[in-house]
Amino acid sequence: MSTAVTQKNRTGSGSCTDASAPIQFTFNGKSYQGVVGDTLASALLANGVDVVGRSFKYARPRGIVGHGAEEPNGIIQLGSGAATVPNLKATQVELYPGLEASSVNGWPNVDFDLMGLIGAFGRLMPPGFYYKTFMYPKKLWMTYEHFIRQAAGLGATPVENDPDSYDKLNQHCDVLVVGAGPAGLVAAREAARTGARVIIADEQAQFGGSLLASKQTIDGLAATDWVTAMVAELEAFDNVQLLPRSTAFGYYDHNFMAILERRSDHLGLTAAQGTRQRLHRVRARQVVLAAGAFERPLVFAQNDIPGVMAATSVTTYINRYGVVPGTKLVICTTNDSAYQTAIDWHQAGREVVAVVDTRSVLDGDLVAAAKALGINVIAGHGVIEAQGGKRVKRALIAPLNDDGSAVTGSARRLDCDLIATSGGWSPAIHLSSHTGAKPIWDEQIVGFRPGASKQQERSAGACRGTYSLAGCLAEGASAGAEAAKLAGCGDGNMHFPLPTCEEYAQQPQQALFLVPHTKSASRAPSQFVDFQLDVTAGGVELAVREGFESVEHVKRYTALGFGTDQGKLGNINGMAILANALGQSIAETGTTIFRPSYTPTTFGALAGRDVNQLFDPERYTAVHRWHSDQGAKFEDVGQWKRPWYFPQAGESMHDAVNRECLAVRNSVGILDASTLGKIDIQGPDAAEFITRMYTNSYLKLAPGKCRYGVMLKEDGMIFDDGVCACLGENHYLMFTTTGGAAGVLSWLELWQQTEWPALQVYFTSVTDHWTTATVTGPNARKVIAKVCNDIDLSNEAFPFMDWRDGTVAGIKARVFRISFTGELSYEVNVPAHYGRQVWEQLIAAGEEFGITPYGTETMHVLRAEKGFIIVGQDTDGSMTPGDMNMDWVLGKNKAFSYIGKRSLDRSDTVRENRKQLVGLKTLEPADVLPEGAQIVFDPKQQIPMSMQGHVTSSYYSACLGHSIALAVVKGGLERMGQKVYCPLADGRMIAAEIVSSVFYDPKGERHHVG
Amino acid sequence: MSVDSKVQTPLHYFHGVFGRPGIESDSSKLFNTDVECGLVIKEAPLSAHLNVRGDAGDAGFCKAVADVLGVALPTDPGLCNHNDSISIYWLGPSEWCVIALGGDAAELEAALRAKLSGHVSIVDISGGQTLINLRGHGVETVLKKSTVCDFEALPMAKPGQRGVTQSTFAKASAVISNRCDGSYDLIIRRSFADYIAQWLLDAGAEFGCRIER
Repeated sequence: MSTAVTQKNRTGSGSCTDASAPIQFTFNGKSYQGVVGDTLASALLANGVDVVGRSFKYARPRGIVGHGAEEPNGIIQLGSGAATVPNLKATQVELYPGLEASSVNGWPNVDFDLMGLIGAFGRLMPPGFYYKTFMYPKKLWMTYEHFIRQAAGLGATPVENDPDSYDKLNQHCDVLVVGAGPAGLVAAREAARTGARVIIADEQAQFGGSLLASKQTIDGLAATDWVTAMVAELEAFDNVQLLPRSTAFGYYDHNFMAILERRSDHLGLTAAQGTRQRLHRVRARQVVLAAGAFERPLVFAQNDIPGVMAATSVTTYINRYGVVPGTKLVICTTNDSAYQTAIDWHQAGREVVAVVDTRSVLDGDLVAAAKALGINVIAGHGVIEAQGGKRVKRALIAPLNDDGSAVTGSARRLDCDLIATSGGWSPAIHLSSHTGAKPIWDEQIVGFRPGASKQQERSAGACRGTYSLAGCLAEGASAGAEAAKLAGCGDGNMHFPLPTCEEYAQQPQQALFLVPHTKSASRAPSQFVDFQLDVTAGGVELAVREGFESVEHVKRYTALGFGTDQGKLGNINGMAILANALGQSIAETGTTIFRPSYTPTTFGALAGRDVNQLFDPERYTAVHRWHSDQGAKFEDVGQWKRPWYFPQAGESMHDAVNRECLAVRNSVGILDASTLGKIDIQGPDAAEFITRMYTNSYLKLAPGKCRYGVMLKEDGMIFDDGVCACLGENHYLMFTTTGGAAGVLSWLELWQQTEWPALQVYFTSVTDHWTTATVTGPNARKVIAKVCNDIDLSNEAFPFMDWRDGTVAGIKARVFRISFTGELSYEVNVPAHYGRQVWEQLIAAGEEFGITPYGTETMHVLRAEKGFIIVGQDTDGSMTPGDMNMDWVLGKNKAFSYIGKRSLDRSDTVRENRKQLVGLKTLEPADVLPEGAQIVFDPKQQIPMSMQGHVTSSYYSACLGHSIALAVVKGGLERMGQKVYCPLADGRMIAAEIVSSVFYDPKGERHHVG
Repeated sequence: MSVDSKVQTPLHYFHGVFGRPGIESDSSKLFNTDVECGLVIKEAPLSAHLNVRGDAGDAGFCKAVADVLGVALPTDPGLCNHNDSISIYWLGPSEWCVIALGGDAAELEAALRAKLSGHVSIVDISGGQTLINLRGHGVETVLKKSTVCDFEALPMAKPGQRGVTQSTFAKASAVISNRCDGSYDLIIRRSFADYIAQWLLDAGAEFGCRIER
């Protein structure tokens, strides 16, 4: 099948397409053929597809207007199922075989749209329509919004998991160049020459920018050949990274640029292998913005009918893609650049009906060139209205006065099927705006150019309003050399001779945005400013009549620039119309500020590989795989995976925990306590420093001894606790909670470095170095004795709260006789390489005693039976030691204060009726209170009840045969024996008695056992 | 210190694991040296790792360390001095990491303590971390995926001296050091080793990746 048959607007190969290589694709369910190098938009235009979507509010048929990121109408949904992508611009979607796309807007189809019936009553939906109509009653807003969004058809998000993978690269460079048009290419080359690390990124598949559609010559080469040579030159530098298909979408503080690289989107809906998209997080010393400019369409009546396009886009489709999107062209322009479109169209062999120029005197080089080709040029006129249904049929033109503000004569018709307009150019100042630079209105270029730089950046070429090719090349080269120098590379001088190119003499453009109609804006057929959100000139003027003056308010009231195109085409026209309505200048009116993202960005790329098992680190102890081999269930404690309990076949969690608890109380259990934070502390002032950090004193702690301590923040509230051991002279080991380890080390460093630098003490984390196996229970000593023969384990030689160096299972070990269960306990510490083997030896040694591995749940039950607190569970950052009934841990006679001491005398911390830690025993022994349950004294009171405290820990104690709970209760220590009540969400009311928080072995005989 | 099978380095369970497109990165896959890999991760197991703190301005301290280790103490930020077996990594103004390949930490600590006096700290952290080397043409991309630090800006590696920095690594942390041969050394914490190994296998998959002992 010949391409000419199916693609009526294809004239051959363009600079980027191969007309001999057809590609099949479908759009809105219909099959079409494009060619290699096409975008979806160029392929649709080649096939004469006029209507690509329906407008947001009025559901008017819409066709393709632009050729890149500025496209407001060709918004499509790509593919279906898990990998479907909503809201892509057809102008940016590269065609691949089998591509399936559909319009996001328009139901049941774009050619017959039910919503269009609403569109027929368009005047019923003025700006602010939603605010005016749907605000009341307020509670219905969510309902309204749902239907509005559905009707608006903003595309469908996939409901299945994304099958693709995404990743991120952290990049650093001296010079980042955004945009690989003429300015960007020479900027990169100048910077590269200095040896600077250079990254040059461009959102398009090919470098070259506007040159890809240019017929100009540079250094005697066709523009596209010059681009090819430049790219080869850049590739030859090993200090240059070229990133095509990469959009710089956000410019953040510290010269941080986020760039999205589309790695496989041009090949298919999902990546066959590798990552679909890659987020480059670039930290650049210097940035050159060479992002180009967007041609501004003219606003006139019915300018949204399919077949009205930007003039430069028409040129691009002709030269770059070999697609001439119509047969009879009328151009309306305020400047010279659109004449190139007329010339290109003419040379493509199709009819230029007329170039309608709003200026009355015309003498530029391009004008002359067009006239020389016999092209009909009509001066002093404008296209005031397009006519047609789903495609332009004719243009209405009329003579205008000198400043283009009024029609001065009668209108006449020009039959045509394409109207191309050019209202001048708007620099792409988006990235500059992201930095906070305030755009400046420039009368000369009739556009906003970048404001004073807020970052280490400069703009070059069209994005700062320089539109001649020679000017872009000169500015780019200079910017590249300057950026390199400021990044510390080169002398700032340009090295390469400036490329030479023809210059056209151009006459000034006219500052015209809204082409007047014979009727006023409010009476004329709709003159569209923002195509995507259906904002009209009349709408902007209405907003002014209703009292809006600020450009930001008008934006929000009318939705101007709120679409996924961020108003790249419409915003400036909107500002100009607003300024005119307000009777002030555009400079006085100002512009809204652009924010990231420049174009929509996938969430996948922002997440990168931080998904699934890599979402958050899982920290493992050296014994982790033994635990999982034993079928342990794990609990997250910070980032650690700790065994929670070890269920045996058929056991519930409750069964397993009961079994584990009883094993410890009756014989022996073993716990992996490796996750506890451990900090090695050395220095002549170590004891003094530690004594200032804990509430109690360590000055007299002798080598071989351990002591339990509590740390407070300055406000007197408990923030960590643990045992500290004296390892030798000026040498200590501090244990912290598992979750608190990093925070405690930072805390120690903070105080040493900022408050007490004179104290000589060093801290080193040894958490990961040690594997800690806690062997606990009445038979613990017997187990240890089997694998350790160089420590005298007798109670006299090795009492409770002592530690010893020794050899356990053949490995040098530190053994601590400390206990969190209330039983006889030995905590065996060995370097982690040996952790697994020593653990297994302990298991083997304990076999005859039924040694039972237990997890954190059993640990919690056992310690709760003893009334030992867990910081972070029984405390919440608002508990003092007194609240925890732990005044015994406060050093009364310390020479130096300790952190938090002063706050223990605050009126709030000494007041009566603070919540205090007590035990709770449910009247019904089998009832286990839910943790977090609120406590009231009077169960019969009205809701809201007066809450007197809450349950912090609660378990069933197999050892005691009833449930136990720890709770904080107002004035609890004075209320021993009183009844309290816990009203539960399910309506039950559980009664309990306040008891001592120590349920088991209150005298501590078991851990002292000889 | 003898290497026996009961001793488990932090990457014990990953030796021989490789990941590449289409191949599961799990430990059931056998080590296969025939596979061309753009990222090869090799652990330097069971070495002596000491954390040393002291006053860099104290010439006596610096000389004593150099005398015992045979390597000058780097006092400038970002430098690692080394010979064939011992490397001293600068970690901070008063902090260094000493790694002696195949060394005995207790002996090394004793030797240092015998020569050092005053306010110093020497801590054996051999069990708590491991040294891994990353080589292959994919290594720089993998590092860019993993760390925000500009490792290309490290002091140039030359015989006897390398650059070193501490930074985030994925969502964990690592000491990163360059080598003359273009490869990089990482020092990673034991408890994060599984996570980092999985991260590296994933990040290196596009090049083909294996972990060897």
